Amino acid sequence: MFGLFEAMSAIEMMDPKMDAGMVCNRDRKVLNFEQSVEEGKLKIKNLTSEEKIGIIDDTFSCLVTWLEGHSLAQTVFTNLYLHKPLAIEDKCLRSFSLIILKLVEIIRDFVYRGNVFEEEDFQPAFLYPFAMPCTITDSKACGMIRDVEEEMQKKVKSYQRTLNSLNKSRPEELMKTSDNNNKFSCDLAEQKEHQLNLALFARLKFSRLFYQSLIILKKETTAKINVANSTSGHWVEDADKCLQQCSETISIWQQTLSMGIKPEPSSAPTSEYRADYPTIMGFEPLINQRFLPPTFPRYTKMKSRKEAIEYMEHLVSRIRHVCKIFDHIPFQMALDFFTEFSKSSSPPSCVLSRSLLQVLYLPNGIAPLSDLIREDVRNFIKPPSLYQKPSILTNHPEAREVVDIFFERCTRPMSYLLQINGHNRARQRDKLALVLEELATIQEEADKLDSYLNTLSLKMDIPSSHLGYFSAWVLYHILRVMIQYLLSGFELELYSTHEYPYIFWYLYEFLYSWMASTLYRAKSFIAEQDAISELRNKSVNKKVKSKKRKQKPHEREWTLNSAFQQLCGGYYKTVSAFRLEGKLKTPWSSASKEQLRYEHRFMPFLVIAAPPPVPYSQYREAVERDKCGDVKETIAELYATACKCFHRAKETFESSGFCFKIDL
Amino acid sequence: MDGKSKLRQWLNRKMKIEMSDKRVLIGIFLCTDCHRNVILGSCLEYLKFEECGEKEEPRSLGLAMVPGHHIVSIHVSY
Repeated sequence: MFGLFEAMSAIEMMDPKMDAGMVCNRDRKVLNFEQSVEEGKLKIKNLTSEEKIGIIDDTFSCLVTWLEGHSLAQTVFTNLYLHKPLAIEDKCLRSFSLIILKLVEIIRDFVYRGNVFEEEDFQPAFLYPFAMPCTITDSKACGMIRDVEEEMQKKVKSYQRTLNSLNKSRPEELMKTSDNNNKFSCDLAEQKEHQLNLALFARLKFSRLFYQSLIILKKETTAKINVANSTSGHWVEDADKCLQQCSETISIWQQTLSMGIKPEPSSAPTSEYRADYPTIMGFEPLINQRFLPPTFPRYTKMKSRKEAIEYMEHLVSRIRHVCKIFDHIPFQMALDFFTEFSKSSSPPSCVLSRSLLQVLYLPNGIAPLSDLIREDVRNFIKPPSLYQKPSILTNHPEAREVVDIFFERCTRPMSYLLQINGHNRARQRDKLALVLEELATIQEEADKLDSYLNTLSLKMDIPSSHLGYFSAWVLYHILRVMIQYLLSGFELELYSTHEYPYIFWYLYEFLYSWMASTLYRAKSFIAEQDAISELRNKSVNKKVKSKKRKQKPHEREWTLNSAFQQLCGGYYKTVSAFRLEGKLKTPWSSASKEQLRYEHRFMPFLVIAAPPPVPYSQYREAVERDKCGDVKETIAELYATACKCFHRAKETFESSGFCFKIDL
Repeated sequence: MDGKSKLRQWLNRKMKIEMSDKRVLIGIFLCTDCHRNVILGSCLEYLKFEECGEKEEPRSLGLAMVPGHHIVSIHVSY
């Protein structure tokens, strides 16, 4: 008859918590756009400036609430004006409503294309009964709002002009105190109207510019195949200019935030308290109740106007930051940019900016990414096959094809790496574990490729080795992911304190030290290749080479890596000492349970061949090794080594000029 | 016919229930209990059934339990 799942999602009628239909049926009638207009509850013309400002501000609150992961129906579309924008006679409100609808459409498009959202970030819109106004083109919508904007601007300017002329004649006026009072009150009313006009002007301008900047970004990302071959340049600047003007209008907006109408407390339904009532004219939180699935949140708590504008301000600066990706085209730089952007925590990145970053860097599929990856490998370790000229590949079409295929295969996991950094922080961890599996297969292929190229290069006129080039590059990325995976556990507060010893141990003894040796290998290989190429073209221009020598590859990363290694070493020794002192309690007595946890924590690493997964027994041995006779002695010894480690970490960080950003 | 066999006959048939707040539910009669609670499968909700009948756009509820004391009338179609 019905299964467990169905039974779990069944609803009980007439239960206020479950029965959405009951809420709309009681209390009072929920009026739609036409009904509200008929009953005189919704003005479509002759709105006061205060009303318009209030409606605009609340609409932005709705928009921001939507961007925070609530449903469109319960946020933006509680605004009745958006249901029938073309029926609004007031030009200002009509053009604003159209722009908002267009904004919703374009934001949704970006988020879908970015494809880095989860249910907690963004509500995929199901079918709503209101069609988006496709008949109005982007440019027409912009034109409409610009007309209104200019009208406002005229008013603002003419007031300023009269004010200026008044100021000039003021001294005489001050003399005639008799009729000054009258004039003064008139001035006040005028002044107030001027402020209102200014406030409205700023809001309209912001909406238009924000929308325009998104249009620019959309146009370019759908037209260009890839960032690498786009000429970038001016259109990014155009978008940035729009956004900069946006942020300039925000200060006026903030100052005039109190000008809009506010809901009257008396208009709330009396029967039950709901956080979404009362509302100002034009907003009906229950209007879409019947279009929602049966089990849906009953109401949505909207952001306040103040929160909304702060959000918009940060959003604008985030989008401006994201556009800087065009200065970070090479793969390695881009990956770092993605990770840094994802890490920035105050304020945290949002679904729109994260999606934009994805769309901007990887607009149409991932095919041309293979060129970027090839370039990245070349820079990372300078494999003779890619670096030297002539190389093995020059006269060997078969080898060339094999290398091409390898890079083609790399695009999937590598673009996945970029994508992972676009997801929200909490979701990244599981995905990192998944990408390790894909990287493991790439690693296997890289090994095969290296040995294949090695057999070829040994047969060359000047025999040379080609072992460990491509595989070192893959290893580097694997280690990066493994470190990121373990560190994310700290960020998400997954580990309990008694797990710290082996987590830090793993980072200190293995991951960071493997990373150090990988970077070292890359460094020395590069030096080797540079020496070879120098030998080869000794006769040619010498100046160029001396310049090249100055840059030390991987230097900074190597230093930072060793600093982090020392830091983890320090932590490891400290927590081990804590444990021996009994300051870190383990909740169980037998070691087998710890083993279980240990194996669970490092499970995703099992798929990787190099570095090989470290068994629990090895950790126990390391712990035993640290014990030197007396417990007290051991503890003192541990603290002393921890101290040394921390000191070394400090020195290394300072020498590399690394500065800590502490988010409080 | 005793009550038991009558109820058994109604099983899996289309049932229309009018509720105390005038809403009408139409769904498949799946089960009931001693409190007159009724469970309807693939249930549809009509707000203005009297005026518009089944032409009105219904809201789909899926599985729904109707408490016995809110049932005003039931109709079964054979």
